[in-house]
Amino acid sequence: MNEIPFYRITGLTYRYGGGRFLLQIPELDIYKGTSVGIVGPNGGGKTTFLKILALLEEPDEGTIFLNGKKVDQNDYGLKRSITMLLQEPYLLKRTVFENISYGLKVRKEKQGIAEKVHSAMGLVGLSPEEFSHRRWHQLSGGEAQRVALASRLILNPSVLILDEPTASVDQESAVLIKEAINAMREKYNTTLIVASHDIVWLNTVADKIYRVYGGRIAGYASDNIISGPWASDSDGLWKSVLPDGQVIHAATPPDDSGEKGLLDPSDIMISIQRPEGISAQNIIRGRLMLLSQENHSDKLLARIDIGGFSMTSRITRKAAESIHLFPGEDVFAVFKASSIRWQ
Amino acid sequence: MDYILQGLLKAFELLITGNQETYSAVFASLKASTMSMIGSLTLGVPSGFLLGYTDFPGKRQARAIVDTLLALPTVVVGLLVYAFISYRGPLGDLGLLFTIPGIALAQTILVLPIVISLTATAVESLDKRFKSTLMALGAHGKQIAVASILEARHAVLIAAVTAYGRAISEVGISMMIGGNIKWHTRTITTAMALETGKGEFSTGIALGIVLLTIAFVINSMLTRLRKRSL
Repeated sequence: MNEIPFYRITGLTYRYGGGRFLLQIPELDIYKGTSVGIVGPNGGGKTTFLKILALLEEPDEGTIFLNGKKVDQNDYGLKRSITMLLQEPYLLKRTVFENISYGLKVRKEKQGIAEKVHSAMGLVGLSPEEFSHRRWHQLSGGEAQRVALASRLILNPSVLILDEPTASVDQESAVLIKEAINAMREKYNTTLIVASHDIVWLNTVADKIYRVYGGRIAGYASDNIISGPWASDSDGLWKSVLPDGQVIHAATPPDDSGEKGLLDPSDIMISIQRPEGISAQNIIRGRLMLLSQENHSDKLLARIDIGGFSMTSRITRKAAESIHLFPGEDVFAVFKASSIRWQ
Repeated sequence: MDYILQGLLKAFELLITGNQETYSAVFASLKASTMSMIGSLTLGVPSGFLLGYTDFPGKRQARAIVDTLLALPTVVVGLLVYAFISYRGPLGDLGLLFTIPGIALAQTILVLPIVISLTATAVESLDKRFKSTLMALGAHGKQIAVASILEARHAVLIAAVTAYGRAISEVGISMMIGGNIKWHTRTITTAMALETGKGEFSTGIALGIVLLTIAFVINSMLTRLRKRSL
């Protein structure tokens, strides 16, 4: 891609939690108008990373370029082109109308505030007649979340960052939030960065999903993570034992990033019969639990349970049809030791 | 008991008939307390915000000093201010001694720690997400300061009412700085002290009723304001 990335991050480090945790992003590019999802366990650094992207926190080291320009933390014009919805949104102790219009007021925008507020409320499915004059404490959790989102959408930001926007809302609100941010992106080419635990929901808004784990970007969400401990084995291979006693081999020794092996689902083949005479060192027996359509592609994702350990394989529809693959069947996941990489 | 009852009846008579001497003391008290409240809020709210919001070397010590000054005795303030504004003092030329503005100045010093301390506590108690939210919406500097005070408005209102209550009910400053001059600097509390000393319970009770009524009205206003802002 020859286009200049909207975000370019190089050598970013940030210590948080009283210095106990370290976020490290050696390099990351995010392009204008794309939608990037972030998943990962609690405490893995997602929120901290989002706050740095929203310029609410300043990294200890490293550089952030926005639209090719190095970020100046005192450039409030630049900061105002990015907005973030926090994990637990906070509403000012004012009316819904005042909450939504607050961002415009600090920008000294005075023209057509009422129309803009009503339009933003419409985007998130709130009736202006019913909700404009309600006070912050007269809203349900889902309504409060939508008011908080409307107060960001009204600013028409270049980048909209959302931290767990569906964590405490009902199904209807989750759908409305998805529709609102997708409409925003379509209309204004807004760059979206969204963290969520709801991978199914996230798949409907994100082009690609990164996994943030242990303060690092650990590949894509669909990547399989194979935890250690890893020990050296014969033939110069490294092995990790799964809960049911089967062994996975890696071709290279783990690095010092925590012994987490990553395995791209595309590198895993599925076979109904145990394959013979192949060079792949890993042939793992498991049970096919789920076969689902992957978002934004024509591939299928097959989730295999291996004695409590879950592994995902990406296969073509044709391959699935050719071996008559159905959930509930015993299958073999086949992959090379060299397919395992370190985060 | 009879003289207390008679005093109570006489008190209502003084109030209903608009006794000039009684009302002169009421207006002097209201004037001095209102001036001191305006002064203490003007100085105390920004100072309280800075104390509660910002971090600076010696912040804990500053906070400890402010909290200690909450128990400032009125006579100590009266003595200090008297020393400064008496005709021999450095501010003697201002002619504040035995005037309502002089009483207001001393009362401002008395209630300033209350406003600073309560405002600082209110700002410190703001939700942790509040500042991040404002920053995410594009606010910075002064805009965050103003929004913080607005967000903590209930507590600032309570600070104002507490300050007013302390100012209007004090007697030491009004006596020392005002001099209890009839028709001029005689306030509700100094008049009550004087009249009680003379055995004139009726005037004392009348003024006491006014003082309690003022406290009741102010608290009612505060309750209404809090309900409206919810």
